[in-house]
Amino acid sequence: MGVLAGAVLSLLGLGSWAIRGFGPIGSVNGSNVDSLLALAITGNPAGIVYLGVIILIATPIFRVALSVLFFAVEKDRKYVAITLLVLGMLVFALVSGAVV
Amino acid sequence: MTVSFSGIEAAVLLDISAIMVLEIFLVAILAGLIGALFGLGGGVLIIPFLTLVEGIPVQFAVGASIVSVVATSSASAATYVQDHLTNLRLGMFLEIGTVAGAITGAYVTIFFQGHNSWVLFVLFGLLLVYAAVLTLSGRRLDAPVKVAPDRVAQVLHLGGQYKDLATGETLDYEVTRTPQTLSISYVAGVVSGLLGVGGGIIKVPTMNLVSKVPIKVASATSNFMIGVTAAASASLYFLRGQVHPLLAAPLMIGVVAGSAVGTKLLRVTPPVKVKLLFSILLLLISVDMLIQGINLYRGP
Repeated sequence: MGVLAGAVLSLLGLGSWAIRGFGPIGSVNGSNVDSLLALAITGNPAGIVYLGVIILIATPIFRVALSVLFFAVEKDRKYVAITLLVLGMLVFALVSGAVV
Repeated sequence: MTVSFSGIEAAVLLDISAIMVLEIFLVAILAGLIGALFGLGGGVLIIPFLTLVEGIPVQFAVGASIVSVVATSSASAATYVQDHLTNLRLGMFLEIGTVAGAITGAYVTIFFQGHNSWVLFVLFGLLLVYAAVLTLSGRRLDAPVKVAPDRVAQVLHLGGQYKDLATGETLDYEVTRTPQTLSISYVAGVVSGLLGVGGGIIKVPTMNLVSKVPIKVASATSNFMIGVTAAASASLYFLRGQVHPLLAAPLMIGVVAGSAVGTKLLRVTPPVKVKLLFSILLLLISVDMLIQGINLYRGP
């Protein structure tokens, strides 16, 4: 699951950091994240960890989305609506955060 | 070290050693354990540790902590849902409040960096005192004694049933006073977005004492909720560059280990004990937060 992926990627990232001699690392804000992720493939420690963070954060959002399906299957319309509302807010957070 | 949140390219270097990473990892295990056991995210332990012990600037401590909250929640969630401890409907309903609150809080938090951060600590400390008093006053009763569901709870079928593995009984419960709990959930969400904690420390006593939800259900449901709430805040922090990889990494690994243990503990601990331990923990943390706030106010 997402959290395991996050933990594993964290280990890999730390390992990569160790191999490269524990140098200082910067944190980067949103607009640069895609380039860092591309670096993750080359073994950049920050990139690897960030990939893990992204998968981790995506997991609960995914869970909410799955709950929509669950409630839909149960024909529980009130909760499909409630869950969609929550999901909508989550997506809003992601989208607006990228703009801020 | 310059910090810029304007959205333009800014790389911020933090001086973090391998030993610090190891220390953070160990604290993370403890945080994961406490988090899973009580339905908290562990943020209340991690942030003071990062800021006071490791000297990390508060905006990074907050960013890292919120990531670990998501991790703690996700790590235990599957087990609790399987145990039918988590009340998915109640959680999802209250999430309307907490996610809205988290988005509010995460946006507002930039105004409280640096000079004004003491406000956050004092506010938080006071909130925790409220929660501690609330939990302590209700500690002897946990069995949901003939609670009548309110209108909202009836319409939304918020009540449920769970099996307490410690006592072996299967108990039905209902939910009441939902408007109050929803409002408080919003506040919990704001706290989560502002301070980088899960908010579970408010949600659990509120669900338990205001809405009369049994403590284990409250803990498990809170555990599920904080993951979602924290994901909302974490997205915003992450996109602003407040998540540092060397802080996030040991936290992610540590809480997974800690919550594995904590999850097993919650299943078998008697409810009354859970409440008592929880209130003690709350009091300790609230005192700690208040002291921090006062120190920050006095200034260096």
